[in-house]
Amino acid sequence: MLTSELIRPRLRIQGSTLRVEMVNEQDPSLQRIAQDLLYLLHHYRSQSQAAWEEAVRAYEGTNVDYVFIRGLAKVLTDAATFVPLTTPLPPAILREQVFARGPVFGTPDMFHPVTREEVLQEVANALGLSIEELDEILFADRHASYRLTDAGPVWTPSELLARYNLELARGALYWASRITIEVSNNYKDLWKFIKLFKLMFWAEPKQGGGYRIDLDGPISPFVSSTLRYGRQFAAFLPALFLCEQWHMHAYVYPPQGRGEMLYRLDHTTSSLHSHFKRSGEFDSQLEADFASEFEQKMGGKRGHWRLTRESEVLLLGDTVMVPDFVLVDTKDENRRILIELVGFWHPNYLRRKVEKVHAANCAHLLLLVYKGLNVTEEAFQDAASQVIFFQHKPVLKEVMETIEEMAERIYGPRTKPKRGSKRRRTPKHSRSGDDPAADDQNPL
Amino acid sequence: MTRRGTLDFAMPMNASVFFQGGTLVLQHTDDIEHVPAPFQFVKSRWRCEAYHYHAVLPWMQEQGIRNAVPRWQRLALELHDTRELHEYQIQALDAWKEARGRGSIVLPTGAGKTLVATHAIRHINSSVVVLVPTTSLVYQWYALLMNVFQTGIGVYYGSEKRVLPLTVTTYHSAGDLIAEYGNAFKLLICDEVHHLPAKTWGEAALMAPAPFRLGLTATYPEEHEQTGERWRLDELIGPIVYTQRLETLVGKQLAEYRTQRVRVDLTREERDAYEALYETYLGFVRERGLQRTHGAGWLRELMRLSAFDPHARRALLARRQLLRLLDSCQGKLAALEALLREHAGERILVFTESNVVAYAIARQYLVPVISHETGVAERKHILDAFQAGHYSVIATSKVLNEGIDVPEAKVAIVLGGGASKREYLQRLGRILRKKEPLQAVLIEVLVRNTIEEGKVQRRQVPRENC
Repeated sequence: MLTSELIRPRLRIQGSTLRVEMVNEQDPSLQRIAQDLLYLLHHYRSQSQAAWEEAVRAYEGTNVDYVFIRGLAKVLTDAATFVPLTTPLPPAILREQVFARGPVFGTPDMFHPVTREEVLQEVANALGLSIEELDEILFADRHASYRLTDAGPVWTPSELLARYNLELARGALYWASRITIEVSNNYKDLWKFIKLFKLMFWAEPKQGGGYRIDLDGPISPFVSSTLRYGRQFAAFLPALFLCEQWHMHAYVYPPQGRGEMLYRLDHTTSSLHSHFKRSGEFDSQLEADFASEFEQKMGGKRGHWRLTRESEVLLLGDTVMVPDFVLVDTKDENRRILIELVGFWHPNYLRRKVEKVHAANCAHLLLLVYKGLNVTEEAFQDAASQVIFFQHKPVLKEVMETIEEMAERIYGPRTKPKRGSKRRRTPKHSRSGDDPAADDQNPL
Repeated sequence: MTRRGTLDFAMPMNASVFFQGGTLVLQHTDDIEHVPAPFQFVKSRWRCEAYHYHAVLPWMQEQGIRNAVPRWQRLALELHDTRELHEYQIQALDAWKEARGRGSIVLPTGAGKTLVATHAIRHINSSVVVLVPTTSLVYQWYALLMNVFQTGIGVYYGSEKRVLPLTVTTYHSAGDLIAEYGNAFKLLICDEVHHLPAKTWGEAALMAPAPFRLGLTATYPEEHEQTGERWRLDELIGPIVYTQRLETLVGKQLAEYRTQRVRVDLTREERDAYEALYETYLGFVRERGLQRTHGAGWLRELMRLSAFDPHARRALLARRQLLRLLDSCQGKLAALEALLREHAGERILVFTESNVVAYAIARQYLVPVISHETGVAERKHILDAFQAGHYSVIATSKVLNEGIDVPEAKVAIVLGGGASKREYLQRLGRILRKKEPLQAVLIEVLVRNTIEEGKVQRRQVPRENC
């Protein structure tokens, strides 16, 4: 990420709105600079970081646009890999051996009878090195002497400019105290990154679908306008670009502004393409198999249910549950059954899953639980949800029968489809027993 | 139905409290009728700032709430320190214990606050985090705790982040440390605690559940410095438990010393380059009358202009090159070499304006270098070895400027005249801290007929104030 002094000069304030001055990715003169720097970095392969930084300084010359050039160079440096040279002994030990003999000079005198060359030669000999090699590795642990081994992704000039714009966009969040986002898909990835960057959220369903989510940190309610989480917001931002449609409002306190300002971004802002990896469609083979068997036997015209992936969220206060599947009755969209597959998981994950199921208190949730797990039906005794245990894989016939029963019990008998009522079920809110302090890799 | 495994999923959950990012959070509170302040119902849970831990503990115990907050360890620390506490230090320590290990001790600079702190740590004998204002003080505490307790010491700042039961951090980095590991420390020590009321400085203390707290300072903040948006020490640390005034304690801080100036010339080529850069730089400043229009802030104005005015940009670059030229000109390095030869066997500190020159000197004369990149362990090694006489010279950039004792150094060579008055005094004080009745010497190497000479004249420091 860019350092704040590379962001600050590009912040623009209009009234109580903050904007970041992005660059035009198609501007030929900017593309040329991007191309030059890309070329320069490749040219400095296997050379030291200090040499590369010196080259950037030289390239910058008297150019007044140095904030831009340094920004591009920072993006390149961050994406590249610099590694320390290998040394026969840790560099600090080498230095101890050499410096124990100093100070020494080019020519000897009465108090310094040994010369610099002689000291170096002696230490180098003991290590089987030449003087030049010893000199080169003496400070091998300084970043300045790290060598460029991998120049990072192969970017076109406009791709580099786009990435620079992204870094500017996220950099403005360094001064954010809280942010609000609106999204309508890809919840699972979103929650994953919210958890990963240790942010706190509060979500509400929006009219017309999607969710409105407030993000801040644990201490935010107690310390007004804290900027403690600014870097976490900035780190998180690219997760938002994984969504198709999104809006972001950030409440920011830029260094040159007075008081709180609004900083907005949305999916129409070009060049904000996420470099975060979208997770695969299915978390497990079990889920993939279930989906494909459903399509084969019940899909299309073969049944009246439509299967969608992780398209609904159960809001449980400060945590959520994103069920694996949602079955929607194509004849009456109000009739929806959620399905969660509980496969082979770590006991801690399972414990939280069961707590969430209890907390969700959700009658239209069907759990398909692998029988080999350390969990019995008793665990779900008081839960409102329905449970089916399976041995190897869920039996689709049994699942569909249960779903029909559930739908009938919850929504009443199926009638001829009635048009008009498009009201969505909003999931219940309730508190959950999730302990975020003990979270693992499977936060949901 | 067979019950498999041992997980009791169906058991009703008892209320418990855990630590989350600087807050205490209650869960499974359905059976609790009334949750008192300072807990607030925020985002579907009862929460409060973690520093309330000691205050809410009795209530939680009374309610039988399971306490999952403490992750601190009991330690078996021993003091490997032969220094005896002075009477006033014992009084200070007793007063703090009397106050149930919460509050600030106010002692003048040099009166051994850190020594009192080590005894407080020994008394609690559990994990401790120390907050200090600067990285220099991180090093100082690191070395002190390592020597006193003969155990590994964690540091958490900038480039080094290693958390151990005894960890030293800066106020700047403390927030991140506490958010993650706040409940791993039973005792919170805030050095230079007068900084704490400032908005972002106090957050870490607010976020830490540590029931024991010790503030150290020579200048306790006034009442009006703790109002409005600022934090109150009373609340975050506790009251003042002990105060001792200056006069009675310390004698004269500085030893006798003399200063010496060595003037060197630029070579012909250097002089030509210097004049050209000088003209580009000051020519612009004069032409625009920056000093007239912006007074003391003229340099800042030049920097602002340089982001869009090519002439200003060139002037600023010329200034940078000019300072670099002066810092590493041949005459200075020749003078340095002569001085190093002349003071053979004496303990010498060499101060440079830039990192680049400090490292160049290290390579040239094969002497250790300390910069902001030097990790705590190597830094301690260098200073210890210097003290023991294994190293006689240390090259350093501005790092050694604050708060580090190098009492053995008797010669300081300052290359580069860019030092501000404050910096100059600190460098002086460093080598001159009273150790033995040996006269110390501060040698400043300046380039004749350059801006360096002007700077020195502006900086005439009256001897009696030093």
